[in-house]
Amino acid sequence: MTLLQLDNVTKRFGGLVAVDHVSLEIDTGQFVGIVGPNGSGKTTLFNLISGVFFPEEGHVYFEEVDITRMPPYKRAPLGIGRTFQIPRPFSSATVRENIAVGAMFGSLGKELSVDDSMAVADQLIEKLDLATHRDKAAGSLTPVEKKMMEIGRALAMKPKILLMDEAMAGMHPSDIDQMVAFTRQIAEEENISIVAMVEHIMRAVIGMAEKVIVLHQGAKLVDAPTQEALKDPKVVEVYLGGSGGR
Amino acid sequence: MKNQAVKYYPMLPVLAAYAVLFLIGRNMSGMWQLVAMLLFYCALGQAFNIFLGMTGYVDFGYVAFMGVGTYGMALAISRLAHIEGLGAGIIVIGFVLAVLMSTLLSIAVGAVALRLRGAYFAIATIGVNEGFRFLIEGARIWNGSEGIIFTAQLNQILGREAASALAIFWADVFVLTIAVAAALVTLIYMRSKIGYALTALREDEDAAKVMGINVTKFKIIAFITSASFAGLVGASSWALKTPYVFPPEVFEIHYTIEAIIIVLLGGAGTLLGPLVGGLIYGISKYYLSIFIPGFQLLIFAPIIIVIIVVFPEGVVGMLKAKTRNTAAGRFIV
Repeated sequence: MTLLQLDNVTKRFGGLVAVDHVSLEIDTGQFVGIVGPNGSGKTTLFNLISGVFFPEEGHVYFEEVDITRMPPYKRAPLGIGRTFQIPRPFSSATVRENIAVGAMFGSLGKELSVDDSMAVADQLIEKLDLATHRDKAAGSLTPVEKKMMEIGRALAMKPKILLMDEAMAGMHPSDIDQMVAFTRQIAEEENISIVAMVEHIMRAVIGMAEKVIVLHQGAKLVDAPTQEALKDPKVVEVYLGGSGGR
Repeated sequence: MKNQAVKYYPMLPVLAAYAVLFLIGRNMSGMWQLVAMLLFYCALGQAFNIFLGMTGYVDFGYVAFMGVGTYGMALAISRLAHIEGLGAGIIVIGFVLAVLMSTLLSIAVGAVALRLRGAYFAIATIGVNEGFRFLIEGARIWNGSEGIIFTAQLNQILGREAASALAIFWADVFVLTIAVAAALVTLIYMRSKIGYALTALREDEDAAKVMGINVTKFKIIAFITSASFAGLVGASSWALKTPYVFPPEVFEIHYTIEAIIIVLLGGAGTLLGPLVGGLIYGISKYYLSIFIPGFQLLIFAPIIIVIIVVFPEGVVGMLKAKTRNTAAGRFIV
């Protein structure tokens, strides 16, 4: 079933077309990798889905509801969670409080009290192996710990779709493996679609993604099952440059 | 249930501090004047902290809410004095009117200014107090620049003795009550979703939005709450203590600046911060002006700079960080 659908979406910043007539579909529980070099419009695409910007053209549908112009704070309770390229913790709050905020205002927010949300946070802290940092100010964590915490915060929202913006950039390979395993496990348990966006075609994403969407200069270049996408000559061209002068 | 009570432990040091202040004022001769001043600064800090401390937005026009609160009380007393049998009830009406007027003004200001972020918000609010003052003076609203003097009406309603007791004692007790109430509301907010939403938007407004927080709604809640307490402080500390109101006095930006200093000194967004800040500020101001009259600001400024440099998070902010995860930390928030 289609969970998220973008229909011919365009976003311009002045003369620059950041996202250029992109259409795509993401199914419930699907793991999708969005790949594209720096400046290819990946983060803008995420911002259009989470409502930070509204597109100039096209429509965004979530569970068949048109959310094109819905403010971001109304989208999160529908089940759209995200992390940021550069982690954006609520620095003065503790790790536990940060994650609990996700639960408080996420898709179950109306049903959860502050105490319930703290309980949700405690469970996720266990799973994410952040127990030693539980009561530390989030601002004092290392970048990798912040990323883990942000994933916890997004998962606490009980999302139907989780948008991960460069979630694995700058991480040690062993941390990446751990995070991949963890994310996959949670996604399968809770039937969450994951859209992971990466700059480079990474082992981690390829290991998980059922489908890869390649963006280039704001436009969609390739949208295909992972193995097919990797062999596509257009992808090779974008990533390796030139037109294969062998 | 015990768990619920633990959440409100931080009220204990607040209550203890105000009780000690009250007892010192009552039992040591000549101290009530100082205590009254300290209560005023603490109440002002507690009220402003709900907005400035919890949202991180600086409202330079904050004194306008105290000003209209003062007018609320003044109007109630001066216009309703002829009604027989109101007695002390007129003061209750005055407080209600003060809250109503400061709330209305905060909705009007907030609806426009809270759409702006950070520094733009601060700049937009700078003119609010002056603008309101010139509106009253220029349009001759509520007697314009002549102000309202209601000593006679107050004497007529309450009798000369009661009116005098009101000015020298009860008005300050009202201020004390307002300070405690503002502290309690702060703690209730901190322990509810409102507090977490405000922390989130203070730290990162865009991240807060995509996490499902309606930032505008929570900013307005904090703004209105803070403004209505300011109205109450104006109504009791200004209108009841000195039964007159003149526009230039109650819209003086100086008080906004003092409120900002108090909140930052003590620790923005903390419960105890405004209390500690108010005490440090009030005591230093009082004694410096006695011991080195004329030069107090010269000494005072470096003291404030030193405190800000040594404790960038405010005195209580620093204590809170130090006592995190200790038994004492439960009481310091």
